[in-house]
Amino acid sequence: MPTLDIEKIKKEVIDSQLWRSVFRGGVWKDTPRDRAGHIIGNVWLHLHPVKVRPRALEWLYTWGMGGISFALYLILTLTGVALMFYYRPTIGLAYRDIKDLEFAVTLGMFLRNAHRWAAQAMVVAVIAHMVRVFLTGAYKKPREFNWGIGVLLLTLTLFLSFTGYLLPWDQLAIWAVTVGTNMAGATPVLGNEGPLGSLVGMRINNDVRFTLLGGTMVGENTLLRFYVMHCVAVPLVVGILLILHFWRIRKDSFSAAPYVANEEKVDVWPHLVKREYIAAAATVIFIMVWSILQNAPLEAIANPNVTTNPSKAPWYFVGLQELLVYFDPWIAGVVMPGLIIVGLIAIPYIDTNPKGIGSYAWKDRPFANTLFMLGVFMWFALIYIGYALRGPNYAWYWPWEDWLMPKAAPPPTWSVFGPQGVAAYSMLLGIPLMGAVTAAWMLLPKLIQKELDGKKTMGAFLGAVALVAAIGMALGKMGAIEGAFLLFFTGASFYYGFVLPQRHIRTLDWPRYLVTMVLVVSTMSVLLKMCARLAFNIKYVLTIPSISMNF
Amino acid sequence: MSETNPNPAPDSTPKAPAAPVAAAPAKPAAPVKPISRGDFLWAGWSMLAAFFAASAAAGARFMFPNVIYEPSQKFNAGQASGYDLGVSTKWLNEQRVWIVRTPSGFYAMWARCTHLGCTPNWWGDQNRFKCPCHGSNYTLDGDVIAGPAPMPLWRTKVELAPTGDLIVDKAVLENKPGKREHAPYFANYASA
Repeated sequence: MPTLDIEKIKKEVIDSQLWRSVFRGGVWKDTPRDRAGHIIGNVWLHLHPVKVRPRALEWLYTWGMGGISFALYLILTLTGVALMFYYRPTIGLAYRDIKDLEFAVTLGMFLRNAHRWAAQAMVVAVIAHMVRVFLTGAYKKPREFNWGIGVLLLTLTLFLSFTGYLLPWDQLAIWAVTVGTNMAGATPVLGNEGPLGSLVGMRINNDVRFTLLGGTMVGENTLLRFYVMHCVAVPLVVGILLILHFWRIRKDSFSAAPYVANEEKVDVWPHLVKREYIAAAATVIFIMVWSILQNAPLEAIANPNVTTNPSKAPWYFVGLQELLVYFDPWIAGVVMPGLIIVGLIAIPYIDTNPKGIGSYAWKDRPFANTLFMLGVFMWFALIYIGYALRGPNYAWYWPWEDWLMPKAAPPPTWSVFGPQGVAAYSMLLGIPLMGAVTAAWMLLPKLIQKELDGKKTMGAFLGAVALVAAIGMALGKMGAIEGAFLLFFTGASFYYGFVLPQRHIRTLDWPRYLVTMVLVVSTMSVLLKMCARLAFNIKYVLTIPSISMNF
Repeated sequence: MSETNPNPAPDSTPKAPAAPVAAAPAKPAAPVKPISRGDFLWAGWSMLAAFFAASAAAGARFMFPNVIYEPSQKFNAGQASGYDLGVSTKWLNEQRVWIVRTPSGFYAMWARCTHLGCTPNWWGDQNRFKCPCHGSNYTLDGDVIAGPAPMPLWRTKVELAPTGDLIVDKAVLENKPGKREHAPYFANYASA
């Protein structure tokens, strides 16, 4: 009686010309040669080295966030291409096609959900990846350039989200993009509403906003432009940068951790590839479950004339939206995001501390870690304020307050140095005073050679602020809440913006020191301006309206 | 030379080819200096750079459309007598304009926040326009009273047609006190 000889059939199949033409290498015997050949002989895997340092495998060290970001990017590509089969980027059809995807197309709702949720997860994963790389000092020499590529990839991830959320053509879409592109219109020199813009002849129909929109308002051309950028142009750039990013990671031997004696590399197949597959599978399952449980939001169809109340950006941009409450659009919308991007790219070149590479060594790099994490924390604190504490008319609502409760009209705002009264007031007094304070703040930490006693310095500063607050309260100019605000925000700015730099970076050379202080002082100016607006209704510290220069 | 003279003089006869002046030694022609490798490369790379720069400029220009198809900014807001004193939101949804009637006439405001372009809402009980995006507040005149907006709301050109209709033109804007209260940004309409 003939029996089915599985082993024999298997051998015959593998030895057949057809099988061998597709998969070279023959029967798998799990020899080191097989393992190496599997990496080298496979076009998808060959970006890996054959062997890798064991540190690159530790979940607690790498968090796996870079790989998960890439897995999400692949999910987004697949679901995005699927959605393109049913979506037409015109004003008359876009919203209808999204509705069709939701209710008339088999799996349309699921694919749209997966695309939306994967996009949000990717923002989180890329930020987490950046935080991990920062905390392990993995951006330091020789990895400076790849950190910069990573910062650009983070920026493009956010830009992909931004271009993506115009496409459903709902109320969120049109107003988020109206606000976003008007920020571009506030760009200094290049925007028609920005400082110096009108001086060089920028108008509503020839400035940088006009090219973004393809018109003077968010319309048919804008939708098409954002569609092309979202589906083709930006993913192409991201792909090129990703190749560069991965290549550099491989060239830099995957892990920044210091070599230990007799360190033995492990085979990438199966150890690293296995972990990558597990992470990718977990990511896919996570996105699928999320997409089954929760539908992506879709607001009412876009109305270019009426804004929903309140109107909020997607959560990762709500921090920026909140920042726009305190600063003019050209500062909050152009200069500060620009400073964040350039500042992040500059970090590896200004951080000369050789310690703390390849480990979570907070004690070895207290200044870099503290300031970076403060920046990350502030970004999420602003998101929390914008998301949770802002209600109708973008008024401040505490979590326990009902949005239906009508709020009193906010009190009138005022400017410290402005053109009111004496026209030359701001020029003669405000500009030199602001300049002197900024210069002193920038220079003093380095000019004071001896390390100040942190506790005494903080005590003296807080004492002085408390005295000012007490006088203010005695004169009836402020209440206890305003006093607490003043103490908290100025105290935090003084500690992070003066005491810490004085202690840690006064020995840095002048160029690196000054670049660091520009970033530090700009960060602290956010805290101070928030305090000025929230507690004292100060609109501008200094305003020169004739050239749209308001601080 | 005969070839260059169509009417040769009668005495002109074809000349024999001039014999080489053997006596005077020919001045050696200046040696043709070949372009150096450095200069050649410099010129080549410059042209390539110029090509890329020009392509980039052309690509940027390409992104500026020459013709745009956007709706007219001018519209007929109907009979002036149909408006009551105060702010009318009748045209907000269609034309993004508030018509404001005062005891002496009309002005119209473009309902676009001067901060980042959202549409504020009119709150009659507080006499304010409030923007839902970043919390800017404006008075009935359009002046900023709170929030981040940098300048007053824009008033549009508004005219009273002989038919009694209000004609609003959003392409003509003014927001400076002193100018915005006069024609063409204010239409007198005293008879109530």
